[in-house]
Amino acid sequence: MRRRSSLPVTFLMPTLAILLVLSMVPTLYAIVIALQNRELSAPGYSWVWFSNFADLFSDRRFLNAVWVSVKWEIVTVVATMVVAIGLGVLMFEVAGPRLRNFYCLLFIIPVLLPRVSAAFVWKFAYHPLYGIATYPYRLVTGGLIFDPLSKPGTALFAVALVDVWQWGLFFAVIVLKLLETLPPQPIEAARLDHAKRWQIHAYVTLPMLKAPLISLMFVKMIESLRSFDLIYVMTRGGPGVATETLDMYAFSQGFIESGKVSYASAMAVLMMIATVITFTMLWKRVQA
Amino acid sequence: MNSHRLAASLGAAFVLTASVSTAALAQAPVCSAPIKVLAQPRDGLTLLEDSKDEFKKLSGATFQIDYLNENDRRAKSRADASTVGNYNVYYVDEANVALFASSGWIAPLTDYYPAEYDFADFDPGRQKVATYDGKVWFAPLTGGGDLMVYRKDVLEAAGVQPPKTLDELIADVAKLNDPDKGIYGIALRGARGSGANVWRWMPFFKAYGGKWFDGDKPAFNSDAAVKATETYLKLFKDSAPGTQTGSWDESTGAFLSGQVAILVESTPLSGMAVDPKTSQVVGKVGFLPPPSPLPGGGYGHGLAIGTKANADDAAKKCAGLFIAWATSKENEKRRLDAHQFGELNRTSVLSSKEFADIYGADLGQALAETGKVTAVNFWQDPRWPDLGDRWGIILEELVTGTRTDIKGGLNELEAYANELVKKK
Repeated sequence: MRRRSSLPVTFLMPTLAILLVLSMVPTLYAIVIALQNRELSAPGYSWVWFSNFADLFSDRRFLNAVWVSVKWEIVTVVATMVVAIGLGVLMFEVAGPRLRNFYCLLFIIPVLLPRVSAAFVWKFAYHPLYGIATYPYRLVTGGLIFDPLSKPGTALFAVALVDVWQWGLFFAVIVLKLLETLPPQPIEAARLDHAKRWQIHAYVTLPMLKAPLISLMFVKMIESLRSFDLIYVMTRGGPGVATETLDMYAFSQGFIESGKVSYASAMAVLMMIATVITFTMLWKRVQA
Repeated sequence: MNSHRLAASLGAAFVLTASVSTAALAQAPVCSAPIKVLAQPRDGLTLLEDSKDEFKKLSGATFQIDYLNENDRRAKSRADASTVGNYNVYYVDEANVALFASSGWIAPLTDYYPAEYDFADFDPGRQKVATYDGKVWFAPLTGGGDLMVYRKDVLEAAGVQPPKTLDELIADVAKLNDPDKGIYGIALRGARGSGANVWRWMPFFKAYGGKWFDGDKPAFNSDAAVKATETYLKLFKDSAPGTQTGSWDESTGAFLSGQVAILVESTPLSGMAVDPKTSQVVGKVGFLPPPSPLPGGGYGHGLAIGTKANADDAAKKCAGLFIAWATSKENEKRRLDAHQFGELNRTSVLSSKEFADIYGADLGQALAETGKVTAVNFWQDPRWPDLGDRWGIILEELVTGTRTDIKGGLNELEAYANELVKKK
């Protein structure tokens, strides 16, 4: 009996140990660095404890980065879920099995593109003179110039569109497949009760899919936190600091501008704490 | 007689042995492992990769070049040199040579640069930019100053003479700007960075009498900086689309595709403008020094010996040999043959008949004239990238309209400069 119960532990221990080392060592190291004043150009350092954290709250770029990150998270997650549910339901309603397969294949392609490639493709598409995405504007206005990536009011949304293009379409395929797995009886019962199509989805199918849809939303929330590559290639945080998210600013402070690795680590640690607290609260709220 | 013969035989044997040993020593490979180079894309380096076998024969090792664009190259090389030191050779530039040298991340080049490769042949201006604290740190791959490059046909059609002063430039740019005909007055750089928007802004700052520091006291927060920024923003109203968040690629791209009337840019543009492979305005372009009193922005990029990856003298010699070979007269001649104007740095090549035959007398004359007004506009200090990049962000905010208070931006930069000074 004892031998039986020790077997899973024997198998699990090495992998758990590796996972622990991989996750905890960098995390602890980041926390330690955040309490020091290390800079890339200086070999020496001293302990400054919470000074880096205190400095962050009087740094206008940090406060701006927090706000941009919150906006980015809300815009990309909401837009992705709206596009995914809208397109998923539309395909479910109007497309036959063959056409659905065709759409699924089509909608999966954007997410298969490496992020950096997608960013470069769209950066060129947004070019004010040659871009295909700005062509309709030039056509309608008789050649007026629109440069979405250099306007503070549009840059974030222009980059978010690329994120939604990749993930919203992919999630639409998942939503379609989820709808196809639902039992037909509740839908037929609603039809017999003369429910309209939108009512069937609003009151029957989507509530039935609440748990997987929430999981999808959480996946997207985590994914949106990792959009550094997309923003870096398309705007580098600009124009000005209009698209400078927390990870962009931390990288900028650590490696591009000042080499202040401790200051950058302090940002990373704060970001980690905020993410853990927010996700735990959201998860508990959803479960309740 | 026999004793004489014996002595002669022994002498001959000794000479033969000595010469064989010398030959063997001379042929002993200098390098024992492949050389890793971190660089930014340059036509000259791409061409160099075609001659890998030649370097292998010379040194006994091959080389591998990893390319990153300018800003990424700066960030990656700084991170690498200060931590693991994976690269034997770093591509450095005028903006970060002081930081790399004072941090001990690169070694003095001339200590390991073989004499037969003739370092003194490099253009004196580029040698000056490669020198920090009395020592030479890199061998130039590119460099120079600024030239005013303009469309002769566009100026003639508008009845405008090429501007000779800054005031004339400002007036002419407004006059030549005609977006309905697809022509923009000028192309500037808006993207953040000490080597991007700040680089193009600095000649205006210097032209109005600005200076960065007075001893250890920041002196840039002045009327000169305000006026320079106002002028820069005014000119930006007539700058080609895409340049507001663009840099060298966007502004020169706009000119080469025929959308820009005048621009003042780094000298490699002139070579690109006369090359049918890169330019749609060949035959329509004129060259002059920047309008007075704009100084040209003296710059230089090149290869330096990393200290961490080259822990001992033998490794440094190997890296030195690679740099010497890569920047040798032979390789520079290959670059001239391939019409790579921006990759030429040696006096012997720039003053050669072949150069004059390819690029014409006008350009040669303009280059000679602009050399007289070329200056070092940036703060020559290890903290320059930090300060310059900080101003780059503020300047980008001003260009794109996310902030409008020039004086507020300069106050913010001054506070940051004071922090930098305190930390020294």
